[in-house]
Amino acid sequence: MPAIGKIKIRLPRNIRKGQVIAVKTLIMHPMETGFRTDKKTKKKVPAYYINDVSVYYGDTLVNHSDWTIAVSANPFMTFYLKADKAAPLKIVWKDIKGGVYEKTVQVTPR
Amino acid sequence: MKRDDFSDSRRDFLKKAGLASAAVLSVTALSPVVSGGNLPLADWLGTGEARAAENRTTINDKLKTLYGDRRIEMSHVTMKTPIIAENGAVVPVEVSADLPMDPDNYVKKITIFVDNNLDPYIASTELTPASGRAALALRIKMRKTSPVRAVVETSKGKLYGATNNVKVTIGGCGG
Repeated sequence: MPAIGKIKIRLPRNIRKGQVIAVKTLIMHPMETGFRTDKKTKKKVPAYYINDVSVYYGDTLVNHSDWTIAVSANPFMTFYLKADKAAPLKIVWKDIKGGVYEKTVQVTPR
Repeated sequence: MKRDDFSDSRRDFLKKAGLASAAVLSVTALSPVVSGGNLPLADWLGTGEARAAENRTTINDKLKTLYGDRRIEMSHVTMKTPIIAENGAVVPVEVSADLPMDPDNYVKKITIFVDNNLDPYIASTELTPASGRAALALRIKMRKTSPVRAVVETSKGKLYGATNNVKVTIGGCGG
């Protein structure tokens, strides 16, 4: 699988102070269920998926997700955030093999 | 079968057998309620499917273990899903609730379920008042056509829910 853990985060271009904004996030990850069989080797592909996602805005936790195998490959999630301060927005994904992927973007409301 | 069937030629025997099975089939077709209604589920599904059906947790069990006997009110929550999902591996689901997000009364958790997946529990997200709005969008996998459910829990312990049916043309759990 190429580029596991490649992340894209999209924020609205103009953010007013106190506005509730939608944050769109995408991370490249195979999200293997453990049910799929490899066509060449005829073996089951072991489960490999993200099970824990946390979002921090400055020091406060905005949301925390618990995922299972039934979240699509290359998970795309949209959540909402009240932009009431200029602070970094940090998103952390963790998978079951111990992989930790994180990205920080700056939120600067005007 | 009568005993003199054994003396019949092979051809005659096959003819009779064919007629007999046709008769059985027509009876089944004419009165599906009477003949089909009391067959156990395992006989209808193939053995593999039946085994999977035995092993999987049902949506009712899952809801019971998570929420006990608390009532889930079917209001305040709206869910946006496609009516027909061509690809079960990527089904966009949007859940939103018109509930307040005040520091003392907010939506604590949004959980998504799909009845006919092997594990009906898909994902849950704990929200805080910093979210500003009780809404979430996620792409999920669906094995086959099934109701999709969203349950929203508030910090005061109230439960709200919504259900949408999604028709899946190609399943998305591999295997």
